[in-house]
Amino acid sequence: MFPRPIEKSSFLVRLLYKLSLPIALFIWLLPLLAIFLTSIRPASDIATGNVFGVPSSFQLIQNYGEVFAKTDAMRYLLNTLLIAVPTMVFSVALSCLTGYALAIYKFRWALPLFFLFVAGNFVPFQILMLPVVDMSNRLDIINTVPGLVMFHAAFQTGFCTLFMRNFIKALPFELIESARLEGVDEFKIFWHLVLPLVKPAIAALCVLIFTFIWNDFFWATVLLRDDSTLPITVGVRTLNGEFVQQWHLVSAASLLAAVPPVLMFFIMQKHFIAGLTLGATKG
Amino acid sequence: MTSVAATDRFATSKTRAIAAAVVIVLCLFALQFVTIEAMQALLDVTRQSAARVPAFLVRITLIIGALVAGFVFVTSLSYYKRNKVSVAPWLFLAVGLVLFMIYVIVPIFQSISYSFTRWDGLYDINGVWTGEWVGFHNYKLLFQDPNFYTSLKNNLWWLVLYMLAVPIGLFIALFLNQTVRGIRIYKSLFFFPFVISQVVVGLIFAWAYNPEFGLLSEIWSWFYCETKTNIVGNLTRVCSPEPPSILGHEDSATFGVIAAGLWPQIAYCMILYLTGLNNISSDQIEAGRLDGAKGWKMLRHVILPQLKPATFIAIVVTVVGALRSFDMIATMTQGGPYGSSNVLAYYMYDQAVGEGVGRYGYGSAIATVLFLIMLVYISYFLWRMYQDEVEAK
Repeated sequence: MFPRPIEKSSFLVRLLYKLSLPIALFIWLLPLLAIFLTSIRPASDIATGNVFGVPSSFQLIQNYGEVFAKTDAMRYLLNTLLIAVPTMVFSVALSCLTGYALAIYKFRWALPLFFLFVAGNFVPFQILMLPVVDMSNRLDIINTVPGLVMFHAAFQTGFCTLFMRNFIKALPFELIESARLEGVDEFKIFWHLVLPLVKPAIAALCVLIFTFIWNDFFWATVLLRDDSTLPITVGVRTLNGEFVQQWHLVSAASLLAAVPPVLMFFIMQKHFIAGLTLGATKG
Repeated sequence: MTSVAATDRFATSKTRAIAAAVVIVLCLFALQFVTIEAMQALLDVTRQSAARVPAFLVRITLIIGALVAGFVFVTSLSYYKRNKVSVAPWLFLAVGLVLFMIYVIVPIFQSISYSFTRWDGLYDINGVWTGEWVGFHNYKLLFQDPNFYTSLKNNLWWLVLYMLAVPIGLFIALFLNQTVRGIRIYKSLFFFPFVISQVVVGLIFAWAYNPEFGLLSEIWSWFYCETKTNIVGNLTRVCSPEPPSILGHEDSATFGVIAAGLWPQIAYCMILYLTGLNNISSDQIEAGRLDGAKGWKMLRHVILPQLKPATFIAIVVTVVGALRSFDMIATMTQGGPYGSSNVLAYYMYDQAVGEGVGRYGYGSAIATVLFLIMLVYISYFLWRMYQDEVEAK
């Protein structure tokens, strides 16, 4: 283990280390902490300059309640959910299929197609923006949630395929080989043999895609314009413009937007990190 | 006897094939009737927009139905049964590949072709394209546009300074790679910023930078401010010099945004390195220790070589993140003041659908330049992957 385990050091060093941990964390999360404090203090505090001290009264429920009452935050959150969940389902399902095809079959196009998915996954969004807007316009699905889901699902299939293909490639190939020799149909091999084995990958991808899409801002601003379809990220930005100088509400709304991905992260931590660090250990 | 069984196994399953074909035809036939007008009548709504989403969903359902039937059809054919291993991958790939082509690969080339036109994104009443072909005109304009150079320069700053996330991430990972009680909680809390939306991170930092009541002005006031009673008798804060307005100055706005962007990116690099450190073989570390290596020497000669895959991924995601920076600029500065914090990604958006509404051709030219820059990294990444694939064989 590197660096040298701290237990082997002197008592003083250990004490220093244990003391430095919370201090470092405090500094690291200071902006977040400050915004949380702001979100639970009354508006009058900010006006009188008490921005960082102890709030004069704790208005957690009041402030967050006000966000829901005064704004469309509820609908924004619901919209985000309507965008993120179907995208997650579609892209993960599609990538199970594509990843399986690219990992198991040794045909000439396997590697070029795999690279196509990988390359497409890295392109800047701006090069896709205008043609996608134009196409959505012509298909008459611009400004609709399903239209955005279609795009997200297609785009995220790139990343998911990269992930799935590498995951399936690491499975023991002999399993599939022997199933084939017994005459099991290719689709049955996929469904009964491979799918149960890739469950961890599916979990990791679901968490990641959900978080990515939840946090998406660019495509929502480009493909959605109607206030009734906007997700929370765009909503929070709009609120920021509307509530000038009402920082307690803006910060409450911002934190609200961050809650679901944070919850997702803490509940599914293992899968989340496994997904993000794919490729960071091999080789 | 065996030959009969073999022909049975490979024969077309006629009933299955016919049933599937009927379903395909029905689905495609029904698709013609799913018009917005029909949905309006069906749902009893007068507004076209109200029928748009249901119409789309019904269409998609029908298409998926036809696709599934298509799979059943193909798999019941004798041809498929004889050539399973060569046909099956295409069946598995079909939907994902087609969608990816339509939404990602083809648009790249469309964008590049837009960049040689002057177009405002509209069609005339007959659906005819209203743009005109202008050759390299947009690129000529681009290379004379001072805003373009500002954006390009800022992109370079992003690329260079964003790279700080890699060593800082490594440093924090080394700091946290211990086994004291509660360290797991610390690790996840340090990772926290990455999970939050960039829009929210942007808002948090925009607020932290606020010279009147932000976090920085508060820290500033510890050193440079004192509270005085003014003539009316109220307490006011007097600072000399005044706290800087980081996002309000042309020289500092970009760096303010980059600093905000580093926060989640460092967290990402940290988690990559933590995973990498976790997987380092302890034998080599012990061997290094026996050779008397420790501290910096150990890190340099034993640890870093083993962390190479993590470093590679960290650099890749950091480069992609730097070139994709959009959300933060949109929330923190909108490219301002006076375009000084623009990057290509934001400038393109601004030209195409923002302030310069409808400059599709010009926007596409900017996007093409950004794409070409990215292409350098994509090629390098693919080349590295190719090496790995060849090695694995």
